[in-house]
This record gives sequence, C-alpha cells and structure tokens, in this order.
Amino acid sequence: MSLQSIAKSSLSTSLLRYQRSWGLWLLLLVAPVGARFMISDEDGKGVAIAIGDHLPILTSPVLGVWLGIVVSTLLLPIGYIYLRSNTTRKQPWQIEEVTAGSRIAIMLGRFGADVAVLLAMLATLTVAGWFLGWLMVSGPLNLWHISYALWLVAAPALIGLAAIRILFDAIPWLRRGLGDLCYFILYMTSIVLPSAVDGQASSLTTNIYDFPGFMRPLMGPEPSGDNNFAIGGVDVKPGRVPLDAMAGLDAPGYAASRAAWVGIAVLLVIFAGAIYRPHRQPKRIKTAGWMARLLSAGPPPPANSAAIPALAASLPFLKLIIAEFRLIGAGRPFLILAVLAAASGLADDYRHIGSPAALLLLIFALSAHAGRSEARGLLALTGTAILSPMIRRVAFVIAGIAWSLILGMPAAIFTVSAAPLILAIAAGGIAAIIAITLGSISRSAFAARIVLLILWYGYLSS
Amino acid sequence: MTTLSLTNIRKSYGRKTVLDGITQDFPVGLTLLIGPSGAGKSTLLRLLATAEKPNSGTITWDGAPLPGARSALRRTLGYAPQAVDLPEDLTAREFALHMASLKGLDAGAADAQFGAITDAIGLHADINNRIATFSGGMRRRLIFAQAMLGAPQMLALDEPTAELDGETARKLSALILERAREAVVVMTTHLADELTPMAAQVLRVEDGKVSAT
Repeated sequence: MSLQSIAKSSLSTSLLRYQRSWGLWLLLLVAPVGARFMISDEDGKGVAIAIGDHLPILTSPVLGVWLGIVVSTLLLPIGYIYLRSNTTRKQPWQIEEVTAGSRIAIMLGRFGADVAVLLAMLATLTVAGWFLGWLMVSGPLNLWHISYALWLVAAPALIGLAAIRILFDAIPWLRRGLGDLCYFILYMTSIVLPSAVDGQASSLTTNIYDFPGFMRPLMGPEPSGDNNFAIGGVDVKPGRVPLDAMAGLDAPGYAASRAAWVGIAVLLVIFAGAIYRPHRQPKRIKTAGWMARLLSAGPPPPANSAAIPALAASLPFLKLIIAEFRLIGAGRPFLILAVLAAASGLADDYRHIGSPAALLLLIFALSAHAGRSEARGLLALTGTAILSPMIRRVAFVIAGIAWSLILGMPAAIFTVSAAPLILAIAAGGIAAIIAITLGSISRSAFAARIVLLILWYGYLSS
Repeated sequence: MTTLSLTNIRKSYGRKTVLDGITQDFPVGLTLLIGPSGAGKSTLLRLLATAEKPNSGTITWDGAPLPGARSALRRTLGYAPQAVDLPEDLTAREFALHMASLKGLDAGAADAQFGAITDAIGLHADINNRIATFSGGMRRRLIFAQAMLGAPQMLALDEPTAELDGETARKLSALILERAREAVVVMTTHLADELTPMAAQVLRVEDGKVSAT
C-alpha cells in the first residue's frame, strides 16, 4: 500500500469519526459564543485589549486580530481538550501497530483530519466575526480584513496545536496525564515567550517567537513597535485610540513567521511518525525495600471462605461519601504527597503557597477519579446500582471538599484562623464540581485536568 | 416466589428491532439465554438488569411493574456485563469496594465477601494489584465477583465464563448454581451443554423472539 493511500485512508477514517461526534458541534459553537463575550464593547466589558490604557478603535483588522486572541486564549486549550478526549482518542493500535503501514502516513492522515476540524472551527468564527463586525466595527466594514487578520493570526497556531496532539500520541509517556501537563506548560510558555524579543525590530527571527501570533499586530506599525498593550484585567480609560493592525500584519517577517509555523507543524508530524513508539500494556512498577513497602497496597488479607454475604449498610449515602473520599485519595503516593501539601500550609502565605500546593494535588486526584468513574463503559454497570451516578457525583463533591479541608487544617491550626478552611472549602468545592462536570461530559480525566490546571495557574498568579 | 417477568417487550435501535413482543417469566433458578451472535441476548440481559429501558411493554419484579419497582430490583441486583471500562489505576479490591458502596452494602462485610468469592475463583492473590495488570480472564472474574457481592436476588450475567479456562469456568459455574438456588439468575452463555441439565429453563433468542428449547 502506498504512503499516499495510507494517509488518505487514515484521513478519511478520522474525518468520518469526527463527523459522527456530537462534541464537534459543541466545539463549532464555542468560538462564536466565546467571541461574543470576549470582544469589548464601549463600556470595556469583555476581555479588554488596551493600547496605553485605552481600547483601540474597532476597525475590521483590529476585530480580526481580537478574534485571533479569542482563539489563543479560548480555543487553544479547548481545541486540545477536544482532540485529546473526544472521538478519535481511542485508536485501534492493537491492530494498527502490527501492520507494515507507514506510521508517518498514518500520522499525516490523522493530522489532516485534526486540522480540518480546527479550521472548520475557525471558519465558523470567521462568519461570526463578520456578523460582529456588522454590529460593532467603527468605520467601513471590510470582511476581507477581518478574515485575513483572523486567519493569519490564528490558523498557524491551530495547525500547530494539531501537530502537538499528534506528537503527544506518538510518544508513550505523553499519551497520558503527563502529556496534558506538558501541553499546559507549552501553552503557558507560548503566551509569554514573545516578551523575550521585546522591542526588537520585526523580522522572521523575532516573530517566530510569537506562536499565538497576536503580539506583532497589536504593536502597530514599524519602526516604533510599541508594546504598550495589555490583554485582560485592564482598567480601561474612556475613549478609544487608533491601532493600525494591518501595519503589524504586514510588518517584515510576520507573514513569513506564520508560514514557518505551518511548516514546523508539518515537520513535527513527520517527526512524530518517525519516532512513533508502540503502545504497551502498563507494567507494575517494581520497587524494592522500604520504598516498595511504603507505596504498595500490601498483600491481600486472608480469605475467609465462611464470609457471609454483605448486608445493606446503614446510612448508605454517608458510606458512599467515605468510599469516594477513599478513592479520591487512593494509593500510598497520594497520601505521602498529601502530607507534604498539608505541611506546606505551615508556610507564611497560605493563599499563595499552601493553598495552591493542596489544590494542585487535589486537581490530579479529583480529575483522575472523575475520569475513571465517568467512563462510559463503567457507567453501564454503575448505572444499575441503587445509588445512582448523580448521587455519587454529589458524594464526590462532598468528598473533594473534605479532602481540601483536611489539607487546609494544619494552616488553620497554625494560624488559629478559619480563613484557610473557608478558602479550602471554596477551592476544593469549585475544583470538585468542575472535575465531575467535565468528567461526565468528556468521559475522561483530560478535559477536567487541563481546565483545572489553567484555572490553578490563574489562582496561583492572582 | 420472586420472579422477573416481561410482558410484550419491544426494543429497537433506530429502525432495527432487536426484541419484538417478548413475553417471558424468569423464576428463581438458572435461566440460560442461548442463540447466535447479535441475536439480542445481551440486549435482553441489559433490559433485565435495568441498564436499558424497553420501547414498549412491561417488566415486573416481584409482581410490581418497573419503573416503580426499579429501586427494589436494583437494591438486590448483581450485574456482570460483557465489557466494562474497568478503572485501570485502581486495585481490584478498591474497585469492588467502590461497587459495594454504590450498592449500599456494608464495606467491611463486602470486603470479606469479596475475599471469599475471589478465593473461590482463583483471583484472591491479585486483589491488591492494579487492574491495569490484569489479563482478560482476570478482568472477567473481577466483573463476576462484584456482581456476586451482597446476596443478589437477581443476577444478570453476560458470558461470565468467556475467556476462562475450563477449570476456572467450572468454579464460576458452581458459584452461579449455588446462587440460583434462591435467586433469579439469567445468564448468556456458550457453555449451554454443561449447564443445561442444571438450568430451570433454557431460552433461545433469535430473530427478535424468545423460545424455550
């Protein structure tokens, strides 16, 4: 079978699967709905972009760039969640990996499908942008300028996202939670990296640092290249100032850098195919000595063949909360980390040290348990139990808050204050609700973990 | 005597009718469901286990119709579907206790009972190991063991002996037959020949209909 036919087959199969995904329709809606709320109106509501503390005059190119920022802030994480947790998450690797078919061709086919899905999302955002332009743009409405600015800024970033997902699927240790953590770090790095070339003249070399692609257009025309702009969390002053976004888009090396990112994405996929490593059944980690004793669940208790059948428990809901509490904290490694996280609450600034440390641990534990208990195939079984999945979800949230309270307890005792406990209830409750909600929607831990990590970063930084 | 009954049950997926007008009693004892692949055996079992609802018709448990009697049935139901997304990162024991809590069972007693069941089917040595390390047969035994927790008066088992070696399959069959003395046990199987003499009834599912053999 030729490379071309394998890639084509991989592409068409993946597209077919996407076509049957209800999540795709939600994804297509996310961008237009998000854009409606993220473009600032005259009052500065929404996600403000401020040029010297003033909103820019909303011309067609500025609107296009603004929509590009919506892609960077909203769609890069959500797109990743979709690609990792939705319809093509499970591949028939047991069969695929014993064939002689080129891994590069398979990866390119899948990449093509992912790109098609993400660009379809961008297309819906473009149409939404035209409509928003008709409502909001000052001066003449230019549909081409909106589309040109949006696609030049956002399309390479989305194509890059598809390549990263393919790369992460090719490497065993990036296929699971560690991959999500790596994406979170990459995403955050990509947002702050352009500041590394602050004040330097526009060129391919400087613009290549700008993966999200919106920095240069916001700087306006060369040679000034001012970067006195701010995004989000800005107290804007009355009145709008002009911003020549087209000058930024046409700045030397900018368009070339966007094209370069597309090229890098394709190379990344070819690289992923070349280094593709087969899936493997998870092996038990064998440790020796005291560490093994510390981490293992130990030998099973002796079986009693005369054990009578278990009877109904009194207070079953309370017992369910206890069971959820145990499962959120399943395993010795969690308990060891919990002790460390709780101890970090003894540091001076609980809000910025103890609380984020406890929350970070809980994010991984909550998302893991939410993902495992909401797996579709398991719900078919647990859905027939007397305590329904919805009751279990309530128990999960209560158990999550209980863990958060326990982790905040040392800080409360040390400071003789209820403040850490109140913070713990709020943080644990919100994290548990988000984890179980996203777990039940996506049927996995991915979405919840990524969203919670992004929120955690905001919590840590604020 | 406790009985599960179906009256004029119809179940379809889209335009495909899988079960068409089934009327059948399932008394205490073992009922074997046999028939070709795709005939609707698992669908029928899912209906009996309240995992799915029929498009029309009535299911009654102990004389009371569902959905009113669903809670009563679920309180005493053991269900082992053919395939389950088992939580790979939990140990078998943690998973069993999770299921016991959802069934509203006493945790200590369920733990002891799980030990006894897994001992009887050759899984006990591995119950503190993660499910990720389990083979297909071990997973099948784990799904069976969780279904047996408590004293289910209704046991719905979908191919519980598939993927098992002959000796282990016989051990499972012995436990099933023991439970069938006092409970309604409905089981799909390819081992009909071995279990047929002990079964209260053997039903053939084919072309959307159920017939006694």
